[in-house]
Amino acid sequence: MTAITAANINASREARPRRLEPGALMIVPALLWLVLFGVVPMILLGCMSLWRSTIFGIEMEWNLDNYRTIFSDDVYMRVLAQTLRIALASTVLSLILSYPLAYFLASAKGRKKTALVLLVFLPFWTSYVIRSYVWLPMLGRQGLVNQVLLWLGVVDAPIDWFLFNEGTVYLGLVYVYMLFMTLPIYLSLDRLDPKLVEAANDLGARPAQTFVRVVLPLSMPGVLSGCTMVFLLACGVYVTPQLLGGPSAVMFGNIIASQFLTSNNWALGAALSVILVVLVLGCLYLAGLRWGLQRLFMGAGH
Amino acid sequence: MAKSAQAPRRRAIPRLLLTGYAGLVYVFLYAPIAMIVLLSFNTADFIGFPIEGLGLVRYREAVASSEVLHAAINSVLLGMAAASIATVLALGLALGFRYRFPLKGVVLQMILVPIVIPAVVGGVVLMVLFGYAEVSPGLWTTVLVAHVNWALPFAFLTLYPRVHRFDRSLEEAAMDLGARPALVLRRVVLPMMRPGIVATFLFSFTLSFDEFVRTLFVIGSDRTIPVLIWTLVIERNSPHLPAVGVLIMAATIVIALIAFVTGERSRSAS
Repeated sequence: MTAITAANINASREARPRRLEPGALMIVPALLWLVLFGVVPMILLGCMSLWRSTIFGIEMEWNLDNYRTIFSDDVYMRVLAQTLRIALASTVLSLILSYPLAYFLASAKGRKKTALVLLVFLPFWTSYVIRSYVWLPMLGRQGLVNQVLLWLGVVDAPIDWFLFNEGTVYLGLVYVYMLFMTLPIYLSLDRLDPKLVEAANDLGARPAQTFVRVVLPLSMPGVLSGCTMVFLLACGVYVTPQLLGGPSAVMFGNIIASQFLTSNNWALGAALSVILVVLVLGCLYLAGLRWGLQRLFMGAGH
Repeated sequence: MAKSAQAPRRRAIPRLLLTGYAGLVYVFLYAPIAMIVLLSFNTADFIGFPIEGLGLVRYREAVASSEVLHAAINSVLLGMAAASIATVLALGLALGFRYRFPLKGVVLQMILVPIVIPAVVGGVVLMVLFGYAEVSPGLWTTVLVAHVNWALPFAFLTLYPRVHRFDRSLEEAAMDLGARPALVLRRVVLPMMRPGIVATFLFSFTLSFDEFVRTLFVIGSDRTIPVLIWTLVIERNSPHLPAVGVLIMAATIVIALIAFVTGERSRSAS
């Protein structure tokens, strides 16, 4: 009965030649919001990147000087290279931590599985700033790690180099973004048909072979979307390097922020922002994920 | 992924290694949180080890601080406002998306792109926009817009699958029986979608409550909880910081759990 009704509705929908159905007008309020606060400011930022910052404010004089400055100055190029390196390293580290964890979660069963998955989620629902800050009292001179090492007699004086270097930023980023890797891998492993694994076993494959030839290839979509997500998030990060990076591990987000918050060079900041956005959208396009992201975020957002 | 029961012995050792590895990852996830909870009970007037004594002094300070109270009130009210706006806009989008209209793909990209735009850029674009529009930064103007911008794509992604699934024939039946669109919305559509709407609202609230980077660029002199925590971290002389952190973590986990449970329920209901 319902099937018939649904079929009829579909048929009548197909028959309707109009391009715009009146019900679609419900999107108008949100559309206005998105244009006004999403599209317009982005266009304004793009224009501003082609203007000139002076001590008297922005002059609307079209030129490419901001981009010329960025691409000819060693400092910006070094920060860009460092940003990509940090993002890549934290992506790889997240993958190394996440894959076995996701496999473990996918192979658990029943209530235990629900509890284990929930336990992975919980920390990521808490404040992002606190989860970044937490490494200061963990790794500082009076931090937990140093005090334990002192107490054990492993070291005579607290170690200084735990904090404020590139490694600390890797750690902070993995801690903050790991879920975006674990989740898609878990989802792809969880969907994997157990019959395939059984078939491989029955045909005499050793467990390692089954993993490499069956499980791993089938979980690649999850690995790919996890890597893309963590890489993109890490490319645009601000808080982690600001808190944990010190002067040696500055990232693109930090130099953008400083143009707007301290050195008041909005036009240059706008050009840096445009470069970052192009980089991020370019990576997303290359990964070919595009709106497969939708699924990933639906998972993340419960 | 159910493993076959064959050759259990061959599996035992890898299985043990896997469980051990996963256990270590859980330790990595929870050790910092356990440490911050321990530090929040420290009576010493610096944040660090060794622990001088355990007590509730820092919690008393945190609760008594008018700074913390104001920021908490700001964050809660702002979260409710941002979540309401985001949920209403997302509801319109989700309902509208069931129909055909031109440039649907472009509109979908407009909704989803903010997710991957780096937070710093999401903040500075609004700083620039409101700078030119001569809107002075404040909680109820610039910050509210920043939070709705951030929550909207997630609100849409939470609502859309729930709206998409339910049968449009019920609405059409009500229409055929002579109900006007507003009445159909109020009496048919909304009641059916209530759990999904509640889950979307709560999820949007947690996103707003935790939002920091976008907020930083447009907040002016107001304080939300994440911005206050940031200033406490930067100033480095607030021994009650871990206590504030633990209280906030506890609150957000409770809200997120409620959102999660409601979401699951609405998913299984529809």
